[in-house]
Amino acid sequence: MKDFWKKIFPYVMFAAAWALILAAILLDERVPKQISLALFTSGGILMGFGAVGIALSRIRMSPEQQKEYERGEHDERNVAIREKAAMSSWYWTLYMLWAAFLVIQIFVGGLWGVAISVVIVLHCTFYMINIHRWNKKM
Amino acid sequence: MTNRIAELRKARKISQAELADGVDVTRQTIISLESGRYNASLLLAHKIARYFGLTIEEVFLFEEEETP
Repeated sequence: MKDFWKKIFPYVMFAAAWALILAAILLDERVPKQISLALFTSGGILMGFGAVGIALSRIRMSPEQQKEYERGEHDERNVAIREKAAMSSWYWTLYMLWAAFLVIQIFVGGLWGVAISVVIVLHCTFYMINIHRWNKKM
Repeated sequence: MTNRIAELRKARKISQAELADGVDVTRQTIISLESGRYNASLLLAHKIARYFGLTIEEVFLFEEEETP
């Protein structure tokens, strides 16, 4: 069942992308411009992910290549590398957000400062939620 | 932690790819284990020891770290 959903997911994304773009075209002037733009943007993003997903699912591998690919996915060193990379990325993102926050507070201020503080709080909240989740699992 | 993987593998004329295949990891993991850049999990240590027909202690040498 999981494999089935994994297979059809890119096609669902691709179809949803067309639906969003079509909705944006059909609704055109009946909805505010921001909503139309949001529909086009999300449609474009979904189309990109869907197209890449479909292209990847069509790559045919020999059984040996498939086995090697799956082994690489579950290899404990690769998993450890991914975990460490994710952790480093979290810190780098946090430092960049703080830097952006300082720059905005000094030079721009206003709502942008509030927006970036919300992003920092969300960034840390998701981290804490995941720590709690994994603390329960392990 | 050090290990005798390279020594045992060479003594038995097994390639890194064969060992990797036997314990279901990539060849790169075997290379990293042999060079000491990566420490195996307990599960992988168990698999490797079993592959050579030895105990974990005979393959992996635990050294107590000196406390300052």
